[in-house]
Amino acid sequence: MRILLVDDEADLVDAIARGLRRNGYAVDTALDGDEALAKATWTPYDLICLDITMPGLDGFEVCRSLRQNPPEGVAPRILMLTARDTVEERIRGLDVGADDYLVKPFAFDELAARVRSLLRRDPGRTGAVLEVGTLRLDTATHGVTRADRNMDLTAKEFALLRYFMSRPGEVVSQEDLLDHVWDEHADPFTNTVRVTVGTLRRKLSVEGETSLIETIVGSGYRLIDSGAGP
Amino acid sequence: MKPADGSGLNTRKSNRLGSIRTRLALLYSILLFGLAAIVVGGIYLSLSRALSDEPVSRDARYSDMIVDAEPTSADPAGGRLATFEQEVNRRALDQLRTYSVTAVAALFLGSLAVGWYVAGLVLRPIGRISSVAREISATDLSRRIELGGPDDELRDMADTFDDMLGRLDVAFEGQRRFVQEASHELRNPLAVLRANLDVVMADPDADTDDFRAAGEVAGRAAARMSALVDDLLLYAHHERTDSRREPIDASTVVVETVEDFGAAASADGVVLQHEVADELLVVGDPVALRRALANLLSNAIRVSDPGGRVRVTAGQDSEMVWMSVLDDGPGLSPEDQERVFQRFWRGDRASAREAGRSGLGLAIVRQIAEAHGGQVTLRSTVGVGSTFTVWLPRFVDS
Repeated sequence: MRILLVDDEADLVDAIARGLRRNGYAVDTALDGDEALAKATWTPYDLICLDITMPGLDGFEVCRSLRQNPPEGVAPRILMLTARDTVEERIRGLDVGADDYLVKPFAFDELAARVRSLLRRDPGRTGAVLEVGTLRLDTATHGVTRADRNMDLTAKEFALLRYFMSRPGEVVSQEDLLDHVWDEHADPFTNTVRVTVGTLRRKLSVEGETSLIETIVGSGYRLIDSGAGP
Repeated sequence: MKPADGSGLNTRKSNRLGSIRTRLALLYSILLFGLAAIVVGGIYLSLSRALSDEPVSRDARYSDMIVDAEPTSADPAGGRLATFEQEVNRRALDQLRTYSVTAVAALFLGSLAVGWYVAGLVLRPIGRISSVAREISATDLSRRIELGGPDDELRDMADTFDDMLGRLDVAFEGQRRFVQEASHELRNPLAVLRANLDVVMADPDADTDDFRAAGEVAGRAAARMSALVDDLLLYAHHERTDSRREPIDASTVVVETVEDFGAAASADGVVLQHEVADELLVVGDPVALRRALANLLSNAIRVSDPGGRVRVTAGQDSEMVWMSVLDDGPGLSPEDQERVFQRFWRGDRASAREAGRSGLGLAIVRQIAEAHGGQVTLRSTVGVGSTFTVWLPRFVDS
């Protein structure tokens, strides 16, 4: 899940980005509206956390513009983060296309919960827990188990597995993974995706167990539903 | 009897005993009753006296009076006639008394009703005024009485009330906006503080460097908030108009303030010059004027590059005393010149935040100038520099 974090307070952006990365999201940042719009036009973000009061384009304008000219693919969810708390402002924010509204100052845990809730609003997703066969992933507590055996995953491996588990059986290309699991700092020419997928694959299976991530040569990877097979 | 279109409130009030309406109606009808009673009583008395003083039978000839009477003897006939006349008079007076009392009683009731109606009619606008006043709360001052009708005393009162509401509305709206802006400004550093602490505290792998970094961010946020709170208090303080006022020499204020900034200017490599006329008398608060000039000076020094020059001049014409701060910094665009005195406006938000500037400095300058019956003006050209001038009414000792 890839998130764009937009605020003109660098100190705030740094802290939230760090917290969200630890929760296994790929986070890009922008310090003003123009930068945000430019990034959102080129990258299919899953979620944009948007401040309202910014130099240049303000949050309302960025939001309206994104809704009027949506980037290709799925339209990003938009969470407004703002110090403006009047009812009129909230209504205005939601009316220009925001999906949720959070007033500063907020507890980081609440932000994380709202991010989870917004990203859950995909078809077929209802709770905080994802299950594919015997594999189980809790997006809130970050616990991952295969047949009741606990896994110890890094934030990136967790993010990768979450992305696979939200698309069981689908072929996921390396570009998809770079767009949604890695942030703007990833170099698309390195083999970081291949390496991380490899590590994750090894961690998911102890000796004797079948491998859960299949490599489809020339197109990408696929998560196998282990419950379906014998 | 009530006015057919009396409002519910009016009715409620009127039903109360001792209301103005009741008292007016009673007063009116008692006065009318008293006058009528005096008039009727007077008529009755004078008539009864006239009848008893001059009996018709004394002058009238007996034969003229009673033609068909059977004359038995002169004397008894004359005595009977007098008795008869007295009887007639008595009856007429009785009749008159009965009619008068009835008429006066009817008049009392009638006047009570008319008084009640008229008082209701006159007082109805007051009922409307008080019902509107009751509906107005401190949070919604947008209602007005808008009485309309003839241009009379009550209309005048209602219009005065509307004017007062208008002024209150403007004042409350300004206050509300200020509180909202101030809380918005305070929320941002609070959000920074909270997010940083939340994230670092929740991270089990955080090391000393992480905590140190979070501490530094928290320190910056706290410094920003305290600078903001200081300026907010200052702003709120100068919003009151009852601060100290005495005749002072503005030239002393200027010279002393410039001296205070000498060290800061030379530390930034800025040349600070001043040229101040003597005896610049104004009526004002020296502490406030010093603050206004200090805000202008610190802005001028901040925008000047090292090697730049800040000139402070002060003088007077026949009516005004002026204090001017001139810099050769980057200057302000025409759009920015309009916004520069607005609360919380900062030309460079990010760096202003770093420096812990509140964005209230020039708003405070303007507020102080206006509280002294003066104003602050700005002339600026991009690439050349800016000149801020505070104008104050000159104090003339008569």
